[in-house]
Amino acid sequence: MFCYSCGCQLSEYDFCTGCGADVALYKKIMCVSNLYYNEGLERASVRDLSGAIVSLRQSLKFNKNNVEARNLLGLVYFEMGEAVSALREWVISKNMRPEKNIADDYIDKVQSNATRLDSINQTIKKYNQALIYCHQDSRDLAVIQLKKVLSMNPRFVHAHLLLALLYIDSERWERAERELRKCIDIDRNNTRALRYLREVELMLAPEENVKQPAKKKRDEAVRYRSDNEIIIQPLNVKEPKKNGVSTLVNIGIGLAIGMAAMYFLVMPAAQSNAKNAAQDIIARISGESDAKTVQIQELEAKIASLQGEYDSLQQELDGYTGESGTLQTINSLLRVATTYLDNPEDIMVTAADLETIEKNVVLEDTSQEFQALYQKLLGSIGPQLSETYYTEGQEAYRMGDYAAAIESLERAVYYDAENGDGWFYLGQAYRQNEENDKAVAAFDQVIERFPETDRARRAQREKEAIAAEN
Amino acid sequence: MINFEEELKKFHPSLEVEDAEDAIYNQDMTDMADLLVKMIKESEEKANEVS
Repeated sequence: MFCYSCGCQLSEYDFCTGCGADVALYKKIMCVSNLYYNEGLERASVRDLSGAIVSLRQSLKFNKNNVEARNLLGLVYFEMGEAVSALREWVISKNMRPEKNIADDYIDKVQSNATRLDSINQTIKKYNQALIYCHQDSRDLAVIQLKKVLSMNPRFVHAHLLLALLYIDSERWERAERELRKCIDIDRNNTRALRYLREVELMLAPEENVKQPAKKKRDEAVRYRSDNEIIIQPLNVKEPKKNGVSTLVNIGIGLAIGMAAMYFLVMPAAQSNAKNAAQDIIARISGESDAKTVQIQELEAKIASLQGEYDSLQQELDGYTGESGTLQTINSLLRVATTYLDNPEDIMVTAADLETIEKNVVLEDTSQEFQALYQKLLGSIGPQLSETYYTEGQEAYRMGDYAAAIESLERAVYYDAENGDGWFYLGQAYRQNEENDKAVAAFDQVIERFPETDRARRAQREKEAIAAEN
Repeated sequence: MINFEEELKKFHPSLEVEDAEDAIYNQDMTDMADLLVKMIKESEEKANEVS
């Protein structure tokens, strides 16, 4: 025992001879921890495993560094089929005392056999699954799972207990008793197992009580004394008659009774066994079927999800490579740029190509680089093109072809919004074409874009004239 | 009489290998000896403050 303050070896005194710290209470705590360890060891040695767990946990509550108690606790857990809990204790123990620790051997033994460790983990997973089945009211499946668990790990006390509880619930008392006996063989003083067993024995006892009176009845006999002898005359025993016919009749009756017993007692038992076996098979197949169904549903969901992803990606790919896809659009714009660079004078071809792109593409949806190049090209040819369309429009206006004039002038202001004459003549053309609303809108553009100019004042007068006409 | 539902509540999922690491890290390791040492230190600090 070492001092908590300086780590010096403690003597028989109630103070530390190294630093002088009062260690009386500390020593008592260590003693209590050892006391519980001894109790746990004693309980474990008589297979009272659950009792040993309680004592050893108490011991560790007093002294977490009690490595022996921790190792024994791990061993008890392992014996009860809870290998992971055992490993947890041994790992902590090894961490506390890395050298000369038996926990090291235990861990090596468990971990050296990967198959065994995997098998243990599988049993634990199956047990947890069985517990989920119980909560979901799928008790047949839970029984199947637990049987598998116990075939792989027959020392799993909790699995025995849960299986026994399921048997009790389905009133299969003999099976429940068998499981509980197995459980008690592992853990002699398991309170829960003992409680279940008492219940099961109570349910099984009435049958035994019924049988006993029958025996008594058979034993009943008439006793009487004749001189010094006690004569016991059994009842229901008749003296055999020496008659051949009656013997044959008796044999016949015996055979009939035997066949009846066969029919009424043995046959139902055989049928019941066959029925139980069939039910077990059905339950197992049902369990497997459920598992497969779940697997199929999961795979179907996965396929649907992948199909959705595929469709989405295909759509995205079409968006890039289709006829009106991004790649095609970019190519068109690059062609327009090439045409313009090859022949900057022929702006009408460039303008027509740009208009085609504008019709086919939503500019806001394209990349910034695309928009920049488009605007650059438009800006390069815009004013010149606007002037050309303006001249055309003006000519048509003079000729009195207002529809053609509107078409040209609209293009003129589209390519150069600062073309003030274009806006004004557009307004005039609309007015002549009796589209006064559009005319007012065009004059408004002139007033807004070129305020305080002679052109704006003329536009204002035109607006007033339209208003006066209406 | 045993009540299945009530008894079922007493069963808890067993620790799986995947959970072992978390279980080790999250284990409360405080013991009575720790509490005693803490109490002694606190009382010593209080005594120092008073003096």
